[in-house]
Amino acid sequence: MAAIETREKVAELGDKYKYGFVTDIEMERAPKGLSEDTVKYISAKKNEPGWMLEWRLGAFARWKEMREPNWARVHYPKIDYQDAYYYAAPKNTPKKQSLDEVDPKLLETYKKLGIPLHEQMALAGVAVDAVFDSVSVATTFKDKLNEAGVIFCAISEAIRDHSELVKKYLGSVVPVSDNFFATLNSAVFSDGTFVYVPKGVRCPMELSTYFRINANNTGQFERTLIIADEGAYVSYLEGCTAPKRDENQLHAAVVELIALEGAEIKYSTVQNWYPGDENGLGGIYNFVTKRGDCRGARSKISWTQVETGSAITWKYPSVILRGDDTVGEFYSIAIANHFQQADTGTKMIHLGKNTKSRIISKGISAGKAQNTYRGLVSVHPKAEKARNYTQCDSLLIGGECGAHTVPYIEARNPTARIEHEATTSKIAEDQLFYCLQRGIPQDEAVSLIVNGFCKEVLQQLPMEFAVEAQKLVSISLEGSVG
Amino acid sequence: MNAPISTLDARRAKAVEAFRVKGVPHRRVEEWKYSDLHAVLGADKVEQAGAAKWAVETLPRGVELFDLAAGNPPDWVQQRLGSLSNTGAMEAASLAFAKSGFALRVAKNGSGEVRVRFSGEGQARVLVVLEESAAVTLIEEADEFSGFQNIGVELVLGPNARLTQTRLTPKADQAIRICEIAASVAKDAVYRAHIADFGGKLSRTELHIGLDGAGAETHLSGVGALNDGHADVTAHVVHASGKTRSTQLFKYVAGGHARGVYQGKVTVAEGANGSDSRQTAKGLLLGNRAEIDLKPELEILADDVQCAHGAAIGDLDAESLFYLRSRGIPEAEARALLMRAFIGDAVDQIESESVRASVWQAVDAALEGLS
Amino acid sequence: MLEIKDLHAKVDGKEILKGLTLSVGAGEVHAIMGPNGSGKSTLSYVLAGRAGYEITGGSITYKGEDLTTMSPDQRASKGVFLAMQYPVEIPGVTTLTFLKTALNAQRRARGEKEVDAVGVLRLVREKAAAMKVSEEMLKRALNVGFSGGEKKRLEILQMALFQPALAVLDETDSGLDIDALKLVAEGVNALRAPDRAMLVITHYQRLLDYIVPDRVHVLSAGRIIKEGGKELAHELEAKGYEQIIKDAA
Repeated sequence: MAAIETREKVAELGDKYKYGFVTDIEMERAPKGLSEDTVKYISAKKNEPGWMLEWRLGAFARWKEMREPNWARVHYPKIDYQDAYYYAAPKNTPKKQSLDEVDPKLLETYKKLGIPLHEQMALAGVAVDAVFDSVSVATTFKDKLNEAGVIFCAISEAIRDHSELVKKYLGSVVPVSDNFFATLNSAVFSDGTFVYVPKGVRCPMELSTYFRINANNTGQFERTLIIADEGAYVSYLEGCTAPKRDENQLHAAVVELIALEGAEIKYSTVQNWYPGDENGLGGIYNFVTKRGDCRGARSKISWTQVETGSAITWKYPSVILRGDDTVGEFYSIAIANHFQQADTGTKMIHLGKNTKSRIISKGISAGKAQNTYRGLVSVHPKAEKARNYTQCDSLLIGGECGAHTVPYIEARNPTARIEHEATTSKIAEDQLFYCLQRGIPQDEAVSLIVNGFCKEVLQQLPMEFAVEAQKLVSISLEGSVG
Repeated sequence: MNAPISTLDARRAKAVEAFRVKGVPHRRVEEWKYSDLHAVLGADKVEQAGAAKWAVETLPRGVELFDLAAGNPPDWVQQRLGSLSNTGAMEAASLAFAKSGFALRVAKNGSGEVRVRFSGEGQARVLVVLEESAAVTLIEEADEFSGFQNIGVELVLGPNARLTQTRLTPKADQAIRICEIAASVAKDAVYRAHIADFGGKLSRTELHIGLDGAGAETHLSGVGALNDGHADVTAHVVHASGKTRSTQLFKYVAGGHARGVYQGKVTVAEGANGSDSRQTAKGLLLGNRAEIDLKPELEILADDVQCAHGAAIGDLDAESLFYLRSRGIPEAEARALLMRAFIGDAVDQIESESVRASVWQAVDAALEGLS
Repeated sequence: MLEIKDLHAKVDGKEILKGLTLSVGAGEVHAIMGPNGSGKSTLSYVLAGRAGYEITGGSITYKGEDLTTMSPDQRASKGVFLAMQYPVEIPGVTTLTFLKTALNAQRRARGEKEVDAVGVLRLVREKAAAMKVSEEMLKRALNVGFSGGEKKRLEILQMALFQPALAVLDETDSGLDIDALKLVAEGVNALRAPDRAMLVITHYQRLLDYIVPDRVHVLSAGRIIKEGGKELAHELEAKGYEQIIKDAA
């Protein structure tokens, strides 16, 4: 009974994906399919130096030998990698002197997305490197960042202008042949973001990138590389949306973070790619490799993610705690509704002494969705006094969804302390009744309770993101309780 | 689900095939990630392992015993033996190749204590059938030996039956000891198992438990006290029916080169509302070359459930240790005291006083080498 | 204000209320007393409209409207408040956020203007002082880690904040020491008003020394078996439920 109501209610949700518009801009594309020629085409389009092309071709050669992983709890039809475009860019990319020169349609898109790109930006104190499909279109706030010595640019630009840094760090956290999707990305990544914060510099503002997949049948393969040099600090925000289309689109990104001695990187994601409709048609396949390396002593890397979108999510933002006294954190909210499938979690690899990690994961399943937390805490023999705390909670809404928890705990040092707790339950009927009795309607009550359930994670987000994330949590679950 | 296979012969034939396809499991097989059997055992050793010796030392009156080595098994054996067979390679091997073993049947309302001893190398198969409201304590002991032993156990619990099993495996550095237990627990029946493992070259107890009727319960507990060697408990509890309950409590102490492994998976099937499950696994790591691996897993496909697991690994609490020493207790003794305290609640799950005493004895012997 | 006629209600397929009739006028305070299992809590949940409490006969009329067809949140917006015996914990939702959400949801449902955060805080502070609810408590998650007394004080604070027309107090005295009981009773008494009716459900007469009722009803096996003035409570205390029930039979 309740299940039928739920089904009816969630059916109404289909139209609520507010980012589901398509921007009609003429695109320039690489020929369909994937071959060495595609890789060369992309490299040439980007005016890349020879070493970069070699790197890509090396990755492509490895990729051809690799198999798509099948261990995650996600099911999807076989992807035909030859039936997609690997490069798409707005035609006549202008050499922008100012925002006024940017295609107004594009700016209109950003407006719909709610990105404050104009003067509001100054007030918000956010610099946005907006990636529209594959090309970085507009970068603001360069001056202020320049002053601090912070490099914040498209990775294609960094490959040309800061090649020493890129050569040194690219692929140093996620090796070229790390996994199937990361290797694919290494061969065909089209653009992405590069950040370098020099020694001792505290980045003067939150850095933010909005990615958007617009062109149809286009995979997006962005590549992000963030380096915080000794004693530096940077907070980076990433938001993702994509238009509504019936076919599935592939998104295989790689993000590498490097924190040198005493540095700190905070990386926040609000992922709201198109999740597909209420029948499971369409939606993004989000196969992402994110990894941070606390390379220097006393460094810290913190991942915060709010995953509400995508038909399939496959991502495990991880931290290698290499330096002594380093800290890794993972705060996650993953919501799966309708036919969404999420398999997400983290790896905390303790290598150094006195390393600490903390994992807080909140998974919410509704409709017919499957939501899996998969995580590894590994303490190596030399990681004296390593510490981990993991709290992993799942909430089920309706009887047709699934919530799964798969933690791996491996300890090889006797001074390590690891604590892991997990719970799975549904929204308690008495909580719901209490809210109703005080006059709060059902949907609002669900949203209130779920936001409360997620609070520890939401608190980690910068203020302006937290508000958006809270709204997303509510929208994603509207009508899910019958 | 596979359709039930009609005859024992057919089930055996299928098991032979299953083992030959899968071979001896290695660490790239997810369930054997932490216990690489392939590294210590060849497939030919499995097929030619011979018959493990067994002896039923006490048998209450009214309990039927059938020696599987004898021909012409009665109908109740024909029907049930191999019927709980799953797809695990080693379970298939024990069904396929075991030339010894026994079957027990406890009639309705029957009760008593059964003591079994396994000794030496080889494979064996065991079937225990409890009819409605039967209540049995099954105590399994083993002799020290070296070599390979593989025992497949099937437990069929009828409505409202009670089966309390204790498996005590003494330290045996050169033993490769595998045991697969499959249990089907009917309505209102309760299956309890305690696994006390003191380590081998590779020692593993697998449990596959189906809570198949409303009110069914299972309570699993165990200790691994290892001053070297390897001990693995891999348990999968399936709440196939609603209103079922499961608890798990496992404690490991590992020193020297020991490796303690716990993999516990709880599945709540679709529609199995009102299921309740708790899992706790804790490890005390005492050696620089020791390792503890814990993987408590939840697979939940129904919404009206209460499921939780906790896992922790650590060393002895320095403050407690200091406190005890400040009261004049020498360090070694204080450490042993704390280790005993750590393991205690798991050992206390054992109902039989005599078994509890022998487990404590073995625990103390193992801890002596550690403190 | 409230007219209950021949009310029958089932929980889990079992009939708990078996023909309960009760009338409470505006400005009146009625006490419902009864032994365990007599149907006291069922009555309060039926009035609030909790799912699983099925009405199988009779009627409940509130301010001339049929209460039984309204959802629980509609009833709340129309002024039905239930102070619960076991107030529920909601982790992660601060008490103040909860109060603001509830107050504004009720106002919205009534077509009134919502109150902004500052306004809510001002309103809450006004009420909080009397109930000795500290600012620190307001910042904590709703009822999480609150003592029994704190939870009950917060219930009365909400009653003061929402200004209901009909307040049902379900075993508000349970788990309270004498000081807390006095404080809660003072809070309730302060809310007695000519346009407000109250239904005080309790097992013991103790609470009624502090909240003096106009009428007392004895509930047994799902029906009112005896009615009287406030002296009935004392009679109950002296004789015990068993005797009273016997006498009534």
